[in-house]
Amino acid sequence: MNKNLLLIIVTLATLALSNIAFGADKPASPMPDETPEFIAQGHEVYIRRCSFCHGLLGDGNGPASDYLDPRPRDFTMGTYKFRTSQSGELPTNEDLFRTVSRGLPSTGMQAFDDQVIKNGLSEIDRWAVIAYIKTFAPEFENPDYDPKLNDLIVFLPENQAPYNAESIKKGAEIFQKAKCWECHGKQGRGDGLKAFDKTDDWGFPIRIRNLTHPWKIKAGTRVEDIYMRFSTGINGTPMPSFISALSEEERWYLANYIKSIQHEMTSHDVLKIELIDGAIPEQADDQLWANAAPMDIRLTGQVIAAPRWQNPSVELVTLKALYNENEIGILVQWDDPFKDEKHVTENEFNAKDIAKVGAYNSYIKADKMIPRQLDNFSDALALQFPVKPVDGTKKPHFFRGSASNPVQLWMWKAASGSKEAIARGWKNSPKNQDDEKQSISSVASWSKGQWSLIITRPLVTDDRNDVQFTPGKFIPIALNAWDGSNGEHGLIMSLSTWYYLIIEAPTPLSVYLYALLTVLLTGGFGFWLKKKVQSG
Amino acid sequence: MFKMKINRFWSMILTVFVVYLFVKIIIPAVSREITGLPFPLTVPGALVFIYMLLAIISIFLYVTFSDDILEEFLDPIKKFLRGDYGSTFRTVVLCGLPLFIGWQVYEVLVPKNELPSSLRIQHPSSNFPKSSEDLKNPFADPTDAEVNAFIEQAKANQVPFIPQLEADIGFWAEENSDSHMLSFIATKPMKEFLNEMKAEQINEETAKNALVEKNLFEGRALYAMNCRPCHGDSVSGDGPMADGFKLRPINFTDNGTIETIVEGYTFWRVANGGRGLPVEATPWDSAMPQWKLNLTEEQRWKIILAEYDLAEKTPRIPEVHK
Repeated sequence: MNKNLLLIIVTLATLALSNIAFGADKPASPMPDETPEFIAQGHEVYIRRCSFCHGLLGDGNGPASDYLDPRPRDFTMGTYKFRTSQSGELPTNEDLFRTVSRGLPSTGMQAFDDQVIKNGLSEIDRWAVIAYIKTFAPEFENPDYDPKLNDLIVFLPENQAPYNAESIKKGAEIFQKAKCWECHGKQGRGDGLKAFDKTDDWGFPIRIRNLTHPWKIKAGTRVEDIYMRFSTGINGTPMPSFISALSEEERWYLANYIKSIQHEMTSHDVLKIELIDGAIPEQADDQLWANAAPMDIRLTGQVIAAPRWQNPSVELVTLKALYNENEIGILVQWDDPFKDEKHVTENEFNAKDIAKVGAYNSYIKADKMIPRQLDNFSDALALQFPVKPVDGTKKPHFFRGSASNPVQLWMWKAASGSKEAIARGWKNSPKNQDDEKQSISSVASWSKGQWSLIITRPLVTDDRNDVQFTPGKFIPIALNAWDGSNGEHGLIMSLSTWYYLIIEAPTPLSVYLYALLTVLLTGGFGFWLKKKVQSG
Repeated sequence: MFKMKINRFWSMILTVFVVYLFVKIIIPAVSREITGLPFPLTVPGALVFIYMLLAIISIFLYVTFSDDILEEFLDPIKKFLRGDYGSTFRTVVLCGLPLFIGWQVYEVLVPKNELPSSLRIQHPSSNFPKSSEDLKNPFADPTDAEVNAFIEQAKANQVPFIPQLEADIGFWAEENSDSHMLSFIATKPMKEFLNEMKAEQINEETAKNALVEKNLFEGRALYAMNCRPCHGDSVSGDGPMADGFKLRPINFTDNGTIETIVEGYTFWRVANGGRGLPVEATPWDSAMPQWKLNLTEEQRWKIILAEYDLAEKTPRIPEVHK
């Protein structure tokens, strides 16, 4: 009977595990012949799933395309970014299959593998739609351009370097030598070069990737994927191939290094405010801050109310918090490739027309509607707290509360410093509180593509709108963030949902007493039994 | 045949362990298979306690059922207490076990930085207006007059589309001036309709299906423009904006989401968003917009039509009240 049970356990465990496994991005069989019937089958798939972004003519001009950055691929040029073919060449069928199956994370292009999503496309439907997409670019019909027939494939070599400290260190040297930092920045935060006033092959602004944010790496975060990116280059963009500049070995080291700088997210949603002696340090590089535990918060575009924004710049903010007997200090750090300290109020967007019922669209276009350039809008960040003390799990809405349940914002702007403000819902902008109610102070610095902001405040104040930091209380906190050179201001911003801060209450004495009592009772019982058995 | 006989004491310990394993690991794993949700449903702590208590009571009943069994069960314990397994071992266990239990008590009692979990009701109905319950999607079932008007438009090769699609369809029609303007919708119902029109033998049912196909096409475009950033281009709740919300956008392909509610409910939720939810559904955590502020009723119904179609689900049929 036990044997059968074991069998059941093993079967169920295997079943549970198989669900986690990632769907196949390699086809089970090669692409069928591209007959007119097969292409027609692909056309039907395309009309149902693809044309709204990529357009009926495959020119990347579907109705949703203006709002997306990166913009949907224009298939008519035959220029594809993610391939296993050499720089500048057409992709292979399998390359297209991989992209359709896996999708490109953090873009509008998502996975279509029916092993990944329930209503995805079967392998044959994926092949069919690829056959249809290829008809948009005449280059695919010319055998002279076929990367396979012409021996233009970049193969993944077998001699992969082990992922260890030594090879990562070598990779860091190659990052210097190959001048990756010229564009991607010394820390890989995409802050090396201001490139968004230059355009790619499709005429769109170039935005250099922040290599430390793994969810932004579009064609895979495995070391093998990273290796392929700088071996094949990214067609249509300034990202070159390093196939002749670097040896295979060097490219493996570099891939290991890039992998090593990718940020690993913390997974908790409560941040413990830690007790220190003396003043809250004013420098972000102070050892006290380095020792404090971090909490990562994911932000996303403000898509809840018009004007909606789906191309946010600030997607990760890391918090640390310290307190002494009088004050609390919060260190807020986030990546922002360019420092924007100027704010031109006249350049702000008036959302009146796009906010109406039945307007063409309530989203902001990726280009042209707002200036995504330097010297227009200030970088800014706000910490949001409930005004009313929290009762149970009931809180104000994470998006600026409401008239009956307002929120307080600790609003810092690179252009004008920090102020406490009250928001009663998103429809009206937050109102700064009177000067005598202001009790926060802030120090901000920007270095190598990252802002560090330290906000301090007395633990307890006499303003009834202020959150009070007393031990043992969960304090909800949410974030708003703006990257000025990404065009962000007003509701065109990124935001988070609620997280929590807490000052730990000291453990009550009764806990130790109960534990001790348990030990004594169970211990006493054990020895009493022993006595009884020995004497009986 | 070789058969290993294990002492009842150890088989009882094993039983408790297996029950614990079942409750803690197997039930959540199976729940995942059954619900199709991307996360397991764990058994609540109070329930685990009850299950384990029941298991121990049953073992107690079984063990005390006859003197023989009790004897066999108590035998290893007695041997242990007498020191048959070594007196050092006995001292270690007799001291270690109380310390372990004391540590467990401390763990249970010590205050933790864990939030009290909040139960959330996904489809609250406390403030759902009864009048919405019987609403039907007008674009899923067009009237005869609408179908006839559509046939006339198709014959004149001038079928109006929503403004969001005008540019894309316009460029396509320019490139394909020799085809009928509707032929870009390369799906079966539309092809059938266009063939019948060519043969001048239009069946009203075919025309109706073609009109629904046109409505679907518009709905998909509006979905891609408005909802896709969060709910994803395959309605799987995995859009590029989804990762920033702790309460993730709903995956409409999951069982137990849009197929368990009537269309009128979907319409009401899309109109009023997270802020329109009652307290038991934690409205402060929901990012769902109040779409009545930006989308017309027509736009919302077309989106809902496309949403059910993409998810390969059908809405629940309203109950008949007599």
